[in-house]
Amino acid sequence: MGLLDFLFRKKIKADFVSSYEEKCKQSIPSQRPIDQLTFIVLDTETTGLNPEKDKIVSFGAVKIHHGKILVKNSREFYFETSENKNEALKVHEVLYPKDPVRMEAFAKDLLSFLEHHIIVGHHIGFDLKVLENSLSSFGLKKFLNPVLDTQYLAVRLEKGYHYDISTGKPGEYSLDSLCERYKIPLNDRHTAAGDSFLTAQLLLKLLKKAEKIGIGDFKSLMR
Amino acid sequence: MSNVIVNRVKEFLKQFPPFSFIDEKSLEAVAREVEVKYYEKDEVLFTKGEEAQDCFFVLKEGSVKLFDVKNEQENIIEICDEGDVFGVLALLGKRPYILNAKAQEDSLVYAIPVLTFEQLLQQNSRVSLYFAAGFASGQVVVRNDLSDSQKARSIFSQASEDKGLLIFTGNSDFNYSKEVLTCSLDSTIQQAARMMGEKGVGSIIIVNEQNHPLGIITDKDIRNRFVVKALPFHTPVSHLMSTPVLTKSQSSDFSDLYLTMVKSRLHHLIFTEDGSPDSPVTGILSDHDLLLSQGNSPAVLIKALMNTDEVKEMAKIRNRAEQLLRYYLENEVSMDFVANIISEINDIIIQKALKLAELKLQAEFPEAKKVKYCFVSLGSEGREEQLLRTDLDNAIIFENVPETALEETQKYFLELGELVVEILLSCGFQPCPAKMMANNPKWCQPLAEWKQYFSEWILTPTQDSLLKATIFFDFRAIYGQKQLANALTEHIYQEISTKNIFLNFLAKNALLNPPPLGFFRNFILEKSGEQRDKFDIKLRAMMPLADIARLLVLSHKIVGVNNTFKRFEKLAELEPNYGELMLEAGKAYEILMRMRAIEGIKNQSSGRYISPEDLGKLQRQLLKNTFYPIDELQKIIKVRYQLDYFGN
Repeated sequence: MGLLDFLFRKKIKADFVSSYEEKCKQSIPSQRPIDQLTFIVLDTETTGLNPEKDKIVSFGAVKIHHGKILVKNSREFYFETSENKNEALKVHEVLYPKDPVRMEAFAKDLLSFLEHHIIVGHHIGFDLKVLENSLSSFGLKKFLNPVLDTQYLAVRLEKGYHYDISTGKPGEYSLDSLCERYKIPLNDRHTAAGDSFLTAQLLLKLLKKAEKIGIGDFKSLMR
Repeated sequence: MSNVIVNRVKEFLKQFPPFSFIDEKSLEAVAREVEVKYYEKDEVLFTKGEEAQDCFFVLKEGSVKLFDVKNEQENIIEICDEGDVFGVLALLGKRPYILNAKAQEDSLVYAIPVLTFEQLLQQNSRVSLYFAAGFASGQVVVRNDLSDSQKARSIFSQASEDKGLLIFTGNSDFNYSKEVLTCSLDSTIQQAARMMGEKGVGSIIIVNEQNHPLGIITDKDIRNRFVVKALPFHTPVSHLMSTPVLTKSQSSDFSDLYLTMVKSRLHHLIFTEDGSPDSPVTGILSDHDLLLSQGNSPAVLIKALMNTDEVKEMAKIRNRAEQLLRYYLENEVSMDFVANIISEINDIIIQKALKLAELKLQAEFPEAKKVKYCFVSLGSEGREEQLLRTDLDNAIIFENVPETALEETQKYFLELGELVVEILLSCGFQPCPAKMMANNPKWCQPLAEWKQYFSEWILTPTQDSLLKATIFFDFRAIYGQKQLANALTEHIYQEISTKNIFLNFLAKNALLNPPPLGFFRNFILEKSGEQRDKFDIKLRAMMPLADIARLLVLSHKIVGVNNTFKRFEKLAELEPNYGELMLEAGKAYEILMRMRAIEGIKNQSSGRYISPEDLGKLQRQLLKNTFYPIDELQKIIKVRYQLDYFGN
């Protein structure tokens, strides 16, 4: 791919981005009960903690439809980055994947997988930034889906709206401690797919908890 | 798909039989299809009598109890632990659950689709043996400590002892007929049929001199094997009867009877004195009796619906209605009756949904809630023909309000519509892709606006307005002020009487449907797309009939007959010279409805696309015969309208 090509791409919006944006215009009715909603729970692993600079290394996601995690509708992708190439040489089998995915194929798949469903993740803001940066070359500016952070939801359910997480114990709402608290065995921790599966199980438990205190539909869940 | 996740699921399953008998590759295929669900303590997984879901369960963590309720007492049969497999009766086909399952602690459950597993059952004899052992011994849980097939086999061999059958309810739960109609082996079919007719029963047992059962003939046999084949009246019963018969002693317990009928897929079981075929007949049990014993009669379902305010409960009852529907279809109960019952159930669900929605919104809209309105169903539901839960088409008509109140009023009804649609979706109905639903601002309007709509469609019959006409003209009031719907109907007839030419357009539209048969009398199949090589029964056969019935009913200004086959019955009265054709058209429509519903239930789809290859020869012929009245009617319409029109 030449430089011109690359520049050109940046400006032009890819067709699959347009059709994703079109799809997102379809809003979810505020009255829809929680057990009828569709969620995409996702996680990324990156080369560092700076979403502007660091690159995506792997991606994992599962779909929750009508209260069920559908294993069949899960995703797992690995990417090639200059950094992990070096790493990969060192720890070949352990870290890296047989077939890294091309960014374009990934972008297409991701957007058609997301549709207009609710995006869920733990600290999801970070993952979304990383993904937006990765997809910007196809003309995607921003994800248009409703977004739900499991960390925020857990805090809201346990402490209420106005709780300031920084005043609590450090790490009290990390994925690790939440999984421990909600009795979810920490399998495959620190792989993107494994973490998305853990987060999805956490979400199922949080949603039941939410329903108990009267958070029953889309509107009240996203408040 | 994520390998990490699939592997995680696979590794778990692998620890427990029968999954431990499955090779890596097949097990991976199973793991891929798993759905993970979380149940809180005291949440119900399934209830007794409810139709089996299309999956069975493996407990990942927590604890689930299986229990029966007898005299309002909970009788715990099993407590499932990690790795236990339960709800396996689903593998025997869509039969109702025999127990209740409830989470005893917060539980994570893996649901495994039956479809995935069925193939495995056929290929892997160890797995199937394992399950067979479980079924035969009446086990409700596939225990994880029976880890080798040796053990499975030994249980299998003692199956007849039925020691595990305590799990079923006692004998008192079902009724059967003690008075059995019998005839001797040398009777003719005509005699047997006359006896059945006189007693008003659906079956007759053929016995020898000692009253031992030899065979059975049912209504269905007479229709399918006698009338269709045009056998002579004096054919002996021995020629037609099903033999040998399945016999049991009436002191057998329910479970035994139940499983026998499930496994043999027979509809009747004959009771004899000692349970063998070589003793006198004492009674007969039909699967209808069994169905009733599980609380699946329409009356029971309707009563249950009336008594609940829980959407989840409503959804469950609607699922049970589907089971009833299947039974009716299989047993060729008259379409009129079936459509009536199912429409009644659907209507009650809608009425319930509206009441729930009204309650929820009343505080927020103190003024708007006083406005009178009518909720109407459109399309097939409006015609009382919606057997399967296909697309929702509905609308709200509210009374005219002053300009100043309009915005608030419409806001109220839109929210009402939204809530109702959401409840209906939760009950398993599908949304209308064209959004012809009460939550669409366009179809949630005051009466004046609705009159305007219809006037416009009638005045300017464009392609689009004709399409709308076909859906909206079949509206039927479900809830609220029926006068509003009646006022609209009156308005429509007034408009049509001054713009007669509208009917010509409607007639033309009714002839636009593509023909069902090609030049060589072969079915015209879909050429491309997902439904390639299938026959579109809705577009090519049902719509032409529904369109013609609507047109003719409108032309005679008939009010209140919405059903397509009832419309044809009415038309037969009004146009006696075409009486026979009209009746035939009505019959044809009933057959098409039945075929579509059977197809839909079989494939869990809308039933719209049928593959002719899968139909038996008889059914193919039956389907073709339904096209004859379409053809004839279209000829009549052509003469009556189009030619007149061009003559103008």
